[in-house]
Amino acid sequence: MPGPFAAFKWAALGRDWTVFAGGFAHTILVSFLALVLALLLGIIFGVLASSKQKGFRTISRIYVEIIQNTPLVIQVFFLYHALPHLGILLPTFTVGVLGVGVYHGAYMSEAVRAGVEAIPRGQLEAAYSQGFKFWSAMRYIILPQAKRLAVPTMTNQAVSLIKNTSVLAMIAGGELMYHADSWASNSLYYGPAYIVTGILYLVICMPLALYARRLEEQMEVQA
Amino acid sequence: MKRLLVFLLSSLMAVVLLTGCGSDQATNGAGEAKDIAAIKDHGVLKVGVKVDVPKFGFKDPQTNKIDGLEIDIARAVAQKIFGDPSKIEVQGVTAKTRGPLLDNGEIDLVIATFTITEERKQSYNFSEPYFVDGVRMMVKKNAGIQSIKDLNGKKIGVAQSATTRKVIQDETDKAGVKVEFLEFGTYPEIKTALDAGRVNVFSVDGAILAGYLDDSTVILDDKFATQQYGIASKKSNTALAKLVDETIAEMKKSGELDKLIKKWGIR
Repeated sequence: MPGPFAAFKWAALGRDWTVFAGGFAHTILVSFLALVLALLLGIIFGVLASSKQKGFRTISRIYVEIIQNTPLVIQVFFLYHALPHLGILLPTFTVGVLGVGVYHGAYMSEAVRAGVEAIPRGQLEAAYSQGFKFWSAMRYIILPQAKRLAVPTMTNQAVSLIKNTSVLAMIAGGELMYHADSWASNSLYYGPAYIVTGILYLVICMPLALYARRLEEQMEVQA
Repeated sequence: MKRLLVFLLSSLMAVVLLTGCGSDQATNGAGEAKDIAAIKDHGVLKVGVKVDVPKFGFKDPQTNKIDGLEIDIARAVAQKIFGDPSKIEVQGVTAKTRGPLLDNGEIDLVIATFTITEERKQSYNFSEPYFVDGVRMMVKKNAGIQSIKDLNGKKIGVAQSATTRKVIQDETDKAGVKVEFLEFGTYPEIKTALDAGRVNVFSVDGAILAGYLDDSTVILDDKFATQQYGIASKKSNTALAKLVDETIAEMKKSGELDKLIKKWGIR
């Protein structure tokens, strides 16, 4: 039977399974490092956004607005194609981690800010009266309480982050989507290639999404 | 949670089953000349062409018109079917989209620097070749690369279509040099990557490469493995494939094809 899902096309994919496995591993690695970066940026800029100093708030605002209001593809293209003309040649792997990490860091920062702002002002004042400085008050008093509100949103962001690593296929990023594209356009067996690729993304994203759902439900019970 | 999983799995199965049936019908239903009758019913021949390959299929940014050798060939096929060369509808395709667009019937033919290979013949019908070319390499003038022997440790930018990569791989293996391949979706992206220093070499068929030559770049003399371009059609459209094949044969015999190649200034 010819057509996009012919049996011999599935068989060819079976023979070349290492191509997909390699891309899958690469996607997981890039996602993990980008997630660490996004969390760090999210916490730092989220806390800065709720600082009393206007300068810090402005810096955080600029970061969030620029990143959230331009497409990820443009940001990645900038890092990959434009920076070399300025003499900065980042390795493709770094471009991937940096591009996706910085992008989702902005969204994480908004989640952290929302969480911090939901904590009554009195909490911070009470901390000050006990001798805490701003950052230690955040670290020990505010953030642990803000976490409950921020974590479900941040988990959803993590899911988006994993899916968005597929943008790196456009810059020969070597992750799952790149290898799927490459294999599919070489063999023209795109049917099995994209079904398997879709399932592989589902395998990593769905557990995370379900976990986020459970966290949200728990919060409703507590509230 | 369990119910969600069951739902997801069953909808996935439904999709696979439905598409399976779909392609079955297409095979059984295609009788002799039925595919050509369908095109006549539709009143226009739908052709997928390149829009980023100067002289073959190129969209002029000023006029927004797509023109080139491959569009002229499409006109010749339309002449054969309708007796009217203007009854074509061209659409831009890339290496990635041309297969799916043929399969789902969005286009009738692909005339888009589509190299004929044994593997591809399993999925689509190919006409006899209308153009023969070789794989060549473009480098920056100041890169100090003269031939394939200078490529050790270099990065080669290729388009997401098998033939270039495989050809260069074979040649570098023969020459005993190690290279790395980076694949991109379109030719302009590879040129951008070459300009940015992301890749050291932009490699594709010579005639395509010539369209991207500028002051800072040079095309090496090395020329590898002949690439034959054919017109592709959906596997089940056998009558159409036959008609296209005849058209190309006639154009070759009458010298019309050579005339067109000269008209577009392709070596």
